[in-house]
Amino acid sequence: MDLKVLRATIGKEFQIRLRAYPVDFMVGCILTSFYTVFGAWMMYHYFFRKRLATDFADLAGTSDYMSYAIVGSLVYLFVVRTCLNVSRRLITELREGTLESLMLAPFRRTSYFVGNMILQTIMTLGETVIAAIIGIFFGLRIHEFCLWKFITAVLLSLYGFFGLSLILGCVMIYARDTYVSQNTLFAAIFLVCGITFPKEYLPKILQMIGDIIPVTDSLTLIRSAFFGGLSTDRFIHIGIKVFIAGTVYVFTGLPLMKQLEKITLEKMEG
Amino acid sequence: MKNFIKVLIAECHKQHRNYFNNMLIYVSLFLWPLLSFMASYYSYKAFDVEGSIVSYISGGNMPVFLLIGYMGMSFFRSVVQSAWHFSQERQGGTLEYIYLSPASRIAVIFGNALSSVFEGSVAMVVFGMLLIFYNKAALNINLFGLMAVIPIFLCASLCWGAFMNACFLYSRDSDFLFTVLEEPMEIFAGVKIPVNIFPQWARLISCIFPLTYALEALRQVTLNAAGIGDMKKVFIISIIIILVLFSATLITIYVVERHMRKTGNFILF
Amino acid sequence: MIEVNSLKKIYEVKRREKFFFIKKEKIEAVKNISLRMEKGGIVGLLGINGAGKTTTIKMLTTLIEPTEGTYTFDGIDAIAHPDIVKRQINMIAGGERMIYWKLTAYENLWYYGQLYGIENNLLKKRIEELVKLVGLEGKADLPVETFSKGMKQRLQIARGMINDPKYIFLDEPTIGLDAIVTQELHKEIRRLAKEKEKGILLTSHYLSEVEELCDYIYLVNAGELVFEGTKKDLTDYVFSGNRYIFSVKGMDEAIVIKLRDYLRGIDFESEVEHLGGNAVISSKAELSSNIAAFAVDEGLVINELHKVEPSLEQAVIKLSQNIENKGIDIA
Repeated sequence: MDLKVLRATIGKEFQIRLRAYPVDFMVGCILTSFYTVFGAWMMYHYFFRKRLATDFADLAGTSDYMSYAIVGSLVYLFVVRTCLNVSRRLITELREGTLESLMLAPFRRTSYFVGNMILQTIMTLGETVIAAIIGIFFGLRIHEFCLWKFITAVLLSLYGFFGLSLILGCVMIYARDTYVSQNTLFAAIFLVCGITFPKEYLPKILQMIGDIIPVTDSLTLIRSAFFGGLSTDRFIHIGIKVFIAGTVYVFTGLPLMKQLEKITLEKMEG
Repeated sequence: MKNFIKVLIAECHKQHRNYFNNMLIYVSLFLWPLLSFMASYYSYKAFDVEGSIVSYISGGNMPVFLLIGYMGMSFFRSVVQSAWHFSQERQGGTLEYIYLSPASRIAVIFGNALSSVFEGSVAMVVFGMLLIFYNKAALNINLFGLMAVIPIFLCASLCWGAFMNACFLYSRDSDFLFTVLEEPMEIFAGVKIPVNIFPQWARLISCIFPLTYALEALRQVTLNAAGIGDMKKVFIISIIIILVLFSATLITIYVVERHMRKTGNFILF
Repeated sequence: MIEVNSLKKIYEVKRREKFFFIKKEKIEAVKNISLRMEKGGIVGLLGINGAGKTTTIKMLTTLIEPTEGTYTFDGIDAIAHPDIVKRQINMIAGGERMIYWKLTAYENLWYYGQLYGIENNLLKKRIEELVKLVGLEGKADLPVETFSKGMKQRLQIARGMINDPKYIFLDEPTIGLDAIVTQELHKEIRRLAKEKEKGILLTSHYLSEVEELCDYIYLVNAGELVFEGTKKDLTDYVFSGNRYIFSVKGMDEAIVIKLRDYLRGIDFESEVEHLGGNAVISSKAELSSNIAAFAVDEGLVINELHKVEPSLEQAVIKLSQNIENKGIDIA
């Protein structure tokens, strides 16, 4: 890891953000989270009048549907914001024409992406807090908070999300598209990762897809840090799974990105 | 009038040729609504569906209820998308040429929306087939009612699209408008939750979206075998909405052109 | 004839500062511009810095309304009747944008033709003619995205003539084109003016282009007209006097300094610059014999000594330097 590059990246991105903060985009993301929560609230209170399915509590590890759904939507917001930003970095550089000059410099890609990730995490944290405050009005309650589980879950999640962003970034660079690939991935995450309902309701095949996206397990960990419902053994077991999945993503993502950079620069000539 | 129709057809054709062979159309018309449909469907599993208070919803026809919702949503989305494409013409510079010509702006805008109504219809047919194939038994269709609802549905979406087009002309932050309009529509228009169980204040918001009425009418005739007689109220409201949207579009176009001539706002470069 | 008098345009711009704060600002893009375009004539509109060229064109094409001033179009008040004007003008801009890439050339032209309400049979015939005119025969049914830059540009020209306009506004029409295509285009522009009696207004960054094509030039700086006239008027105005290029074997700074002192003895206001191995001399007096005498006196071998007609480019550069140094100085 090259700290100089890391610092420079954070500094540069911070400046960009400060000068032209994508307010619309941030508001859009918070609104998305708000609508998700609001939809869940309407379903719970008005449509089904708080009558949950009998197996919900067992599968979810809590019988508090609203808190379950809100935490899901907060993590979803977090994933969307960080992933999107890190993945879009290179393609943005490509579109703005800075990619070539960037590639000329012999720097370490890892530091560049990690720098972006750190900055984005800090930025998103603020937005997530705003969304969480909104969540409280809709009934977000913490039942059994466990600090070490929370910290472990967050760190592991960031690692996993980072890997995911790299892969998404590769797809974007390869397809030269952000709109279709990002929205499709996010719609898929929303479906298979257990954001507002336990993934066990899904057919087997979709559950399997959910298992290979680190968001699913990260979400289980984070929820257990808030609501309990997961033994320490189970927690560690799932934690290791997230770590392994994240590692696979990161270590395929980085070399793949490098490969794609070359292809992209070649394509640029043509 | 002749020129109006000429421009309408030309715009419709251009828009169709320019965007229909784009992958985005297929993804946004089919894949995204399908994914959202599935997400909503499975999220219902967390609840005791038989406990719902809406007359025509039970465990059996829940998927049909949702599928109709997402079908309508996808239709309306496609017209919004066309508006979004239209706003991109500003970046492409072609909008300036349209404004340079004496062509009727209303014809351009309606032509644009019309092309996506056509695209939406393709999606609608596909969803319809899926529906019949998936769960024929849950359907309870009044054919005459359906024949009356479809044109109203098409008109409502056309006017909605035209109105969006006019709005997108005005706003530079078209992406923002897209997020602000798209998701509330999914919730408030009753795509996944029937509007009649909404609290009063939420129903007020629902009123804004023509999709609300379009969906209600569509569901009534397909799930509840409602005839034309039962639907009078919905029809009248839909026609009013269509008229309101139409006039709002005319006003917006007028205001936009005046504003643009004052500020030269269409120059982004 | 198009005639505008004392056009003025003030924009109110909203600028987003940090986060949510919005600041309103008034920008005076055009302060005072008057110009005329006649059928069969080509006028050039040149800008120095932040000139307001684009705004002027947009006002002339009725895309934006002037804040003040008058605009008469063949005797009609154009500000009040933009629709009448729109039918009789068109614009051709450089670059590859402003056409639909997924559509074929024919479809593009057809679409724009419909916007002008041209009758279908006539339109068909006109498209055929235009396609031939811009040399896209056989390519008209291919999507524009498969076209080269030059072909796209030629399509732009055909598009700009689809309504058979009386007046055409050319906004940097040859930007990014190679020399051969540019030459062809110049020929075409001249033909449009001289044979087809179109009134043409041209803006360009390539001053040689303006020099070659335009009968009359308007020079704009910071929203104000600083000069109008023919190219000759402009060069005469900027370089009142003579310019010489002089070079000798072993030319160096010392020689230039010596020459300067020598010439100042004859004409106190003469200037000598050392540029690209040459001495460039400007003076109000006729100095060629003096320069030659200097070379003989100093025992220098003359490589070159001749009087030069300044180019438009030199005139504009000089003028903009004058403006920067002395403030605006209206002709």
